[in-house]
Amino acid sequence: MRCLRSRWTILLTLLATLAVAGGVGFAAEVGLEELSRPHLAPSADVGLLAPITDAGRTGWDCAPEKAARATAARAAELPASDR
Amino acid sequence: MRIAAALIAACMGVLPVAAYAQVYAAPTDAPRTTDRTTLRNLAREREIHERFLRGLAAEARGAWSDADSEFTRAIALDPPEPRGATARYDLAIAKTRLGDYGAARALLNEALVRDPGFTAAAANLVTVNVMAGDVRAARLAADRFIALAPASARARYERGLLALRTGDIETARADFRALIADDPSYAIAHYDLALVELRAGRLDSAELELSRALALAPRYARARFALGTVYVRIGRTADARAAFDRAAADASDITLRTIAATLRDRL
Repeated sequence: MRCLRSRWTILLTLLATLAVAGGVGFAAEVGLEELSRPHLAPSADVGLLAPITDAGRTGWDCAPEKAARATAARAAELPASDR
Repeated sequence: MRIAAALIAACMGVLPVAAYAQVYAAPTDAPRTTDRTTLRNLAREREIHERFLRGLAAEARGAWSDADSEFTRAIALDPPEPRGATARYDLAIAKTRLGDYGAARALLNEALVRDPGFTAAAANLVTVNVMAGDVRAARLAADRFIALAPASARARYERGLLALRTGDIETARADFRALIADDPSYAIAHYDLALVELRAGRLDSAELELSRALALAPRYARARFALGTVYVRIGRTADARAAFDRAAADASDITLRTIAATLRDRL
């Protein structure tokens, strides 16, 4: 009977230890998630396109209109990869 | 005699320099009319042109109030298209810089009514709405921009960011994928697509996109930081620690550097 009780005590102690360890681990992971989340922000917004001369957007060299229609990121004046 | 010759030679050397320093505007044709209405119209045309020149010069030097006055006057002169829409577009830039987002939006909308194909106006309308913090209006403007220029990288980028911020994962994914399809070398699009996949819980795809972003821009600290976060979630602690360590080393933003170092030390 005493043997059985001590086995139960060991088993319960083990379970409690595992639960505490698991809880600490979970809390640590949640802590990491909480810390990292605000820094997983989308990239920067774009700035305004430049002014246009009185020739208008139909002018042969209207840079803002070209940037607005460009299919490549660099030509579209999108942000460069920051550090 | 020699002195006189030397003086003449010196003057000949100096005079061209003085001539270069004096710049004259190109001569304009004198009006060959005495008709009062025609003369008035010519004067109006000339004033519109001058207002544009002065407004653009003011915007170039950041004198937004001056630009505001010049373009307001140009609009009051009711220039024909394309100058009517262009004057509104230029005035909207000055209004935005002065913090009057409401006026800027109204002007850009007017420009688009006058010239429905004015893509730069559609682009700036999205930007102004974002700056004003009006996400709903920004999204509507972004949808309009995409409808006007479906292949535009800027339109895809702006709408993708708005969709990501508002939790419209499908639209964000489609826009960033389209952006990458047209320009696979743009690292930021891979990073933003990775954030979309992270939010959708697709960690494998997120890891793949972040790896692509980092292959294109190895010192892209935000992408490295995000990769560390993915590694934490999938239980690759050693890789996460290495990613945070590298992000801390590469980050120019002190907050990101500190948080990356903190996460590295906690693992």
